[in-house]
Amino acid sequence: MRDVTFGQYYPVDSPVHRCDPRTKILFLIVYIVAVFVAKNFYGLAACAAVFLAVAALSRVPFASLLRSVRGIIFLLIFTAVLNLFFYSGETVLWQWKFITVTREGVFYTIFLAVRLFLLVTGSALLTLTTTPVSLTDGIESLLYPLKILHFPVHELALIMSIALRFIPILSDEAGRIINAQKARGADFETGGPVKRIKALIPVLIPLLVSAFRRADELGDAMDARCYSGSKVRTKYKKLTFALRDLFAFLLCAALLAGVILFRAFLANVI
Amino acid sequence: MEAIRFENVYFSYGEGENEPFALSGVSLSVEEGEFVAVLGHNGSGKSTLARLTNGLLSPASGKISVFGMDAAEQKNLFEIRKNVGVVFQNPDNQTVASIVEDDIAFGPENVGIPREEIGKRIDFALNAVGMSEFRTATPARLSGGQKQRIAIAGVLALRPKIMILDEATAMLDPRGRKEVIDVVLRLNREEKITVVLITHFPEEALLADRALVLNRGEIVMQGAPADILCREEELETFNLALPRSVELCRALRRGGLDIGDALTPEALAEELLAVLPAGKTAEEEEGPKGARAPGDGGRGSVLCRGLTHTYNPASPFATQALRGVDADIAAGEFFGVIGHTGSGKSTFVQHLNALIKVPSAEKKYKPKKPKKGETLPPAPVLKVDGFDLTDKRTDFRKLRSKVGMVFQYPEYQLFAESVAADVAFGLKNFSDGLTPEETERAVREALETVGLDYAEVKDRSPFELSGGQKRRAAIAGVIVTKPEILVLDEPAAGLDPLGKREIMQLLHKIHKEWCKTVIIVSHDMNEISENCTRAAVFSEGKIVAEEAPAELFRNGGMLESLGLDVPFTAKVTELLGRGGVHIRSDFTAADFAAKVLEYAGCAGGERDA
Repeated sequence: MRDVTFGQYYPVDSPVHRCDPRTKILFLIVYIVAVFVAKNFYGLAACAAVFLAVAALSRVPFASLLRSVRGIIFLLIFTAVLNLFFYSGETVLWQWKFITVTREGVFYTIFLAVRLFLLVTGSALLTLTTTPVSLTDGIESLLYPLKILHFPVHELALIMSIALRFIPILSDEAGRIINAQKARGADFETGGPVKRIKALIPVLIPLLVSAFRRADELGDAMDARCYSGSKVRTKYKKLTFALRDLFAFLLCAALLAGVILFRAFLANVI
Repeated sequence: MEAIRFENVYFSYGEGENEPFALSGVSLSVEEGEFVAVLGHNGSGKSTLARLTNGLLSPASGKISVFGMDAAEQKNLFEIRKNVGVVFQNPDNQTVASIVEDDIAFGPENVGIPREEIGKRIDFALNAVGMSEFRTATPARLSGGQKQRIAIAGVLALRPKIMILDEATAMLDPRGRKEVIDVVLRLNREEKITVVLITHFPEEALLADRALVLNRGEIVMQGAPADILCREEELETFNLALPRSVELCRALRRGGLDIGDALTPEALAEELLAVLPAGKTAEEEEGPKGARAPGDGGRGSVLCRGLTHTYNPASPFATQALRGVDADIAAGEFFGVIGHTGSGKSTFVQHLNALIKVPSAEKKYKPKKPKKGETLPPAPVLKVDGFDLTDKRTDFRKLRSKVGMVFQYPEYQLFAESVAADVAFGLKNFSDGLTPEETERAVREALETVGLDYAEVKDRSPFELSGGQKRRAAIAGVIVTKPEILVLDEPAAGLDPLGKREIMQLLHKIHKEWCKTVIIVSHDMNEISENCTRAAVFSEGKIVAEEAPAELFRNGGMLESLGLDVPFTAKVTELLGRGGVHIRSDFTAADFAAKVLEYAGCAGGERDA
């Protein structure tokens, strides 16, 4: 926990890392739409090509990207098995009692698996190449138009910013308290779920007390620095688009257009 | 012009009639450009003073004005806060953003300063605190002193005319403290900012133009710091400690030396050089003091060879914290561990009770097979209190009951509904089948050892205790299992000088009556020289010296090159040496005074005068 940027951020310098966070968020949204719009392998291939190109450009090792799939591996296998055995198609390849495997079923299974894989690794690419801070900046900036609807954009951004600031502090603190209680013989590693949850009480109570104390002190410090809500507030940081963002948007548009064309003019799997 | 004015101000935190006043009848005036230090023990009303000045609190009665603006008027509040910057104690709880420049921008943003101007203010503020190269850094990765300088910059960006530091150095190590104080001094002298420095370090108060002492909400002393800090009886009545140097002067005077009170090492050396003849060498004394009794790893001792540790191995964040540590701590020692932040000392002490395990002690560990032509580095040795910590079959639970560990600010780990239950927590974890009577007896004994009244505190919530009591209760919760070795990380951190002294006395008592061996991690070299039999100096993951303080501090240059301090007595010794007076002491204040008197005596001095 010591001295580590939390989250998944992979610290290398690349054009993808340097992109405006808003571009990356919008790119991801378009990419997800494209993955869903694609109804055949040509469309998915286009998505995969874009994904691989961006992944290569980002210089994030492929292993880190694959790691993000680990969380959904069970889901992936489960849906694959269901689809493989129960999808009703015409060309029967193999049959046993009520289980039928059809040619269409096999295609469909592969299609879904690839789609899921592209979704998850694509999203991981965003968090791997963008620090939580600039992600928050991006979200705030994208939400800015909602201000007209009296949506508390500034407050939300401040909450996110403070949360980000305090995550490492509180996680360090949790680590310290866990160690302190371990040194007093607390056991967090053995026993059933009830015992384990009970074992956490000596950690959670001090952590909660400390969080409240910190909140109190932070409140005073913010007051002392003239915080008074958003009435007269200005904003120092301004995100600016660069040429590379334009390229990203072009790539984005090309991807969506291509996938739509493939869907309209080529045979679809689903 | 008058910057701050208090007229007969009363303030109370409660509503009731009988609620005690946190401030009662305080009147004071601070001139523009002045540097005022405010001293006072915990609960004397120092922080209340700060909060009243910038309108975080408002007085029950009396009048407060800042540059002529009445603080009671709501319309002035914004203007007053712009003019009065406050820096608080905890460096972590004052920053709102994860990037330095964003955090500094927070204040100017709040008052609606245009974007370009904010950029200039950030430049100015970072430059003023000497942190320009950290503009895009993450506060979480900075040292305490750096974080606090960022907090100062965050306040400076509002261009205040007054800056109040509310115990802003209390949680810092000596290096951090110096960084912050240097910045504050510069702001006062070069930027002409009025400074109110609330502190419990007499050394810091000395730098001010004027000092105030608060006691129970009243101003009880006022005047030149050098004058106030020498008034022994009064300071004692108000629960304040005499500065180390003055105490030393008194001891020397009692021994018959004709010197005045000196507040800095330089001044003391000057006083001494005026009365001591040069050229004589004090008798060489080569005693068995601190002679090395090697740790064999048996009961109460530590034996460590070639210990390495890497955090987050095989990731882009991998950091090697220990690079081959060799240490011997013998049973019965009061051992010091020193080194600046990141030198590996915390990682080392956490190995001692297996909070960090040597890889070969992990359950899943499989020994590496060397590839052809490759020799594996020798396996580390780590034996503590008779346990082999490199062996996964070791009973680590038992080890932890025998090697107690008190973390920094241990009061933050209290959790139970009563003090007695909290202290019993460790005992119950370690020993099964204790009868309630046995538990009660052990808890009572532990609480009484740390100087708490068992009957009074046992049923109270630990959160109701005062700061010092909480720390004692937390220590009781560790010693209750009667460990052979007690490890404490910065046991005196954040306490005022009297509190520090009391905690060290408590540790000596525990060392004498409860635990064979005591190991303390400390930044305070005076603490080390006064208390420890030997100390290990960590630097970049290694122990670079492991000696008795008498040897260690003789080589002050080495410590300074590592960014570490030397004790007060060592500074004076060195200055005296330059003046031709060579004193050889073990650097405790008592021995230093004795040796100086002896030297004066040898020279036909005024001992009998």
